[in-house]
Amino acid sequence: MTSIKLNSRSLKSLLAIVSLAGTFLAGCDSLPGRPTQAELPLRPSNVTDFATLYGENCAGCHGADGKSGAAIAMNNPVYLAIIDDASMRRVIANGSPGTAMPPFAQSAGGPLTDRQIDLLMRGIRKSWTGAPGAAEGAPPYFSSTAGDSSRGAQVYATSCQSCHGPDGRGGSAGSIEDASYLSLISNQYLRTIVIAGRPDIGHPDWKHDVSGQPLTPEQVSDVVAWLASKRPPPPLAQSN
Amino acid sequence: MTDLLKSIGRWLDARLQLGQTIADVAAHPVPRSSASWWYIFGSATLVVFILQVVTGICLATVYTPAADRAWDSLIYLNYHQPLGWYLRALHGWGSNFMVALMFIHLLQVFLFGAYKFPRELTWVAGCVLLLCTLGMAFTGQVLRFDQNAYWGLGIGASIAGRTPIIGFKVVDLILGGPIIAGETLSRFFALHVFVIPALLIGFVGLHLYLVLRLGINEWPMPGRIVRRNSYIAEYQELVHKDGEPFMPHAAQKDLVFAGLIILSLLVVAAIAGPIGPNGQPDPTIIQTVPRPDFFFLWLFSLFALLPPWTETVLMLTGPVAVIGLLFALPFISGTGEKSWRRRPFSVVIVILAVTLVGTLTWLGTFSPWSPVMDAWSATPTPIDYVKGRTPLELQGAVLVQSKQCRNCHSLGGEGGMRGPALDDTATRLTRDQIVRQIIQGGGNMPAYGKNLTPAEVNALVAFLATMHPRGEPPARDSARPALPASSQ
Ligand code: HEC
Ligand code: HEC
Ligand code: HEC
Repeated sequence: MTSIKLNSRSLKSLLAIVSLAGTFLAGCDSLPGRPTQAELPLRPSNVTDFATLYGENCAGCHGADGKSGAAIAMNNPVYLAIIDDASMRRVIANGSPGTAMPPFAQSAGGPLTDRQIDLLMRGIRKSWTGAPGAAEGAPPYFSSTAGDSSRGAQVYATSCQSCHGPDGRGGSAGSIEDASYLSLISNQYLRTIVIAGRPDIGHPDWKHDVSGQPLTPEQVSDVVAWLASKRPPPPLAQSN
Repeated sequence: MTDLLKSIGRWLDARLQLGQTIADVAAHPVPRSSASWWYIFGSATLVVFILQVVTGICLATVYTPAADRAWDSLIYLNYHQPLGWYLRALHGWGSNFMVALMFIHLLQVFLFGAYKFPRELTWVAGCVLLLCTLGMAFTGQVLRFDQNAYWGLGIGASIAGRTPIIGFKVVDLILGGPIIAGETLSRFFALHVFVIPALLIGFVGLHLYLVLRLGINEWPMPGRIVRRNSYIAEYQELVHKDGEPFMPHAAQKDLVFAGLIILSLLVVAAIAGPIGPNGQPDPTIIQTVPRPDFFFLWLFSLFALLPPWTETVLMLTGPVAVIGLLFALPFISGTGEKSWRRRPFSVVIVILAVTLVGTLTWLGTFSPWSPVMDAWSATPTPIDYVKGRTPLELQGAVLVQSKQCRNCHSLGGEGGMRGPALDDTATRLTRDQIVRQIIQGGGNMPAYGKNLTPAEVNALVAFLATMHPRGEPPARDSARPALPASSQ
C-alpha cells in the first residue's frame, strides 16, 4: 500500500484550507446552489404566466403556439374575431359536454381559478389576434335560426363534397359523415370549423370552400343541421 | 492566566481521568497493514454523522413540525434566512454522503471478512447503524413534507399495509391515522430528532468501543484462517510484532480523507444547493412525477418493473430476508478465510448486488415509470400525427390526450414511459388487437372497456391504426383482407 507521509504542519495547513474554503463558500452570496426566486415552487392555482397556463393546460389538444393540435387552433384570427368573451369563457370553464373538451373552472371540478381563466382568454387574444378585418362578413358564431337539413345536403354537395367526398366515403380529406366522428363533437364545433376553418391543417374558412362564393349564415346553419341529422342516436355515444 | 487554565485542566483531569483514556486510545497499537487507505470509510461516515448532528440542530431551531407550517419554514430557510439555504444543502447532501460512505464501508468490511470471529457483534452493531441511518434518511425526507415526501410515505405505508392481519394497524401507527396528516409529521419529527439519533449515538458508541477493545481487523491474507481457539492469540502477536500506534500513522489517513469529504460536501452543497422542497403536499395537486431521494430510487424502479402479483410477496418477505441475512452473516460464516481472493462467492454477491442496485437506481433516475400526470393536457400531439389525418382520426388523437393515455404512453418521444411508445404501434398490432388492448387492458394497463363509448373506441383505433412509420406496413390480420391504411 502506498502511503502519504504527513507531519502535523501539513495537517494543520490542510485544516486551514478546508475551513478557509468553507467560509469562503458559505460567505459568497452568488453561489450556483442558492435557490433563485424562479425556483420558488408555486401553487398551481397561483400561476399567472400565460405561456405556462396555456402550455400546461391547453397545448396538449390545441397545439403548441395555439396551432396544429388535434383540436381546433386557438391562433386562428377568424375564430378569434367571431367568438365573444362570454362564449369563450363558458367553454373553457364548463367544457363542451359530451366531447373531449374538459371543464377547467374549479367550480366545475377543473384545476383553474376564475382569474386564471381570464388570464388565459386575455393571453389568447393578445398573443394571436391576427390581421384586422380577417373576419369581415363572417357568419355569426351562434346561429339564430335552426338550419334546414335538406337544404344542408345541397350545401354539402356544392361546398364540401369536393374535399370530403360523396356518400360519406371521404375524398382528399376524410369523411365528416362518419357516425363515430359526429358522436364525438358538438354542433357548435361543426359550425365553428365551417366558419373559421383550420388554416393550420388545410381547412378553408367560410369564404374559401368554393372560391368567390362565401357561405351565407343560412347555408352554414343548414349544412350543420344536415350533419347533425346524420348523428346516430345515443347508443353509439353512450358508455357500454 | 495560562496557569489558572492549566490548574483547572489538571483538576478536571484528575476527576474525569480523560487524559489517560484518550492517550490510551491514541496509542493503542493497530496492525501496520490496516493503516491503509481501505480503512478510512468508517471514520468518514462518523465525521459526516457529527456534521449532520450539528447542521440538524441548527435546522431544528427554525423548522416547525406542523403540517401547515413545515413547508413554509423550509421556504423561509431557503429564501429569507441568510445562508439558511446553505444549511439545508449541507444537511441534505450530508445525508446522501453519509448513506453512500456507509455502504462503501459495509462492502469493505464484508470483503475483508471483518465480521468474522471475534467481531460478530461489531458487525451486528453496524447493521443496526445501517438501519438507523436509512431510517434517518427516510424520516428526513418526510420532514421536507413536500410532494416527494408524500411519495416516500406512500410507498412505506403501502409496504406496511400489505402485512397480513396487522397491516392496517401498522399503517395507523406509522401515519398516526389512516391518512397522511399533521399527526404523521409530528411522529416523524420525533423519530428523526429524538428516537433514531439516540439509537444511533448509542450504537456508534458500542461500535467504536468494540473496535477499540477487539482491535481493528488486520489486512486479510489468503491462507490465514480464522479459528476460534487461536485467532485472538495470533492477532495479539501480529499487533506486537508488526503493529504501530493508532496515532498518528493510521489516524492520518482518516483525517486526510475526512477533510476531503468535508471539502467536497461543502462544494457540492454550494453548487447543487438545497434539496427541495418541491410542491406543497396537497393531495389535490397532481403535478409531475414525485420522486424519492436517490437511495430509494432503486426501490422505485423495482416496484415499477415487478409484475404486480409478485409485489406483495416480495415487499413483505424481501426486506425481512435481506435484513435477516445481513444480521445472521457472522453466525453463518464466522470463521475460515478472510481474504476476498479465497471467497469467490462473496465477491460474486457483492458484484451482483452493486450492479443490481446501481442499474435500478440508474433506471430510476431517467425512466419515469409512474405516469406523467400532466402529459395529457401539456404535451401536444406531434404535428406529423395531426397533418393528413381524417376528422375521425383527429378525434382519436384528441382522445389519446383526454383519456390520459399520454400519461403512460409517449408519442414522438414525449409523454409517459410506463407503457410502450405508440408511434409504431400499428406495425405490431392489428386493429382487432388494438381494440382488445384498449377495452381489456392488461399488462399494467387499465381496462378502459366501461369508460369508453363505442364511438370513442372507434376513433382511438382509427388514430392508432395510422401509427406506423412511412414505408413500414401496418400489421395485418391474415384472416382479413388488407385495408388501405387510412380508411375508416
Ligand atoms: C383533452 C383535450 C383538450 C384540452 C386539454 C383542451 N381542449 Fe379545448 N377543446 C377540445 C375539443 C375536443 C374541443 C371541441 C369540443 C366540441 O366539440 O364542442 C375543444 C373546444 C374548445 C373551445 C371552443 C371551440 C369552439 O367551438 O368555439 C375553446 C375556446 C377551447 N377548447 C379552449 C381551450 C382552452 C383555453 C384550453 C386550456 C385551458 C383547452 N381548450 C384545453 C379539446 C381540448
Ligand atoms: C379544400 C378542401 C376542403 C373543403 C372544401 C372542406 N373541407 Fe373540411 N376539411 C378539410 C381538411 C384538409 C380537413 C382536415 C382533416 C382531414 O384532412 O380530413 C377538414 C376537416 C373538417 C372537419 C373536422 C375538423 C376537426 O377538427 O375535427 C370538419 C367538421 C369539416 N372539415 C367540415 C367541412 C364542411 C362542413 C365543409 C363544407 C362547408 C368542408 N369541411 C369543406 C378540407 C376541406
Ligand atoms: C396506467 C398507464 C396506462 C394508461 C393510462 C394507458 N396505457 Fe396503454 N399500455 C400500458 C402498458 C403498461 C402497456 C403494455 C402492456 C403489455 O405489456 O402488454 C400498454 C399497451 C398499450 C398498447 C399496445 C402497445 C403495443 O405497441 O404493444 C396500446 C395500443 C395501448 N396501450 C393503448 C392505450 C390507449 C389508447 C390508452 C388510453 C385510452 C392507454 N393505452 C392508456 C399502460 C397504460
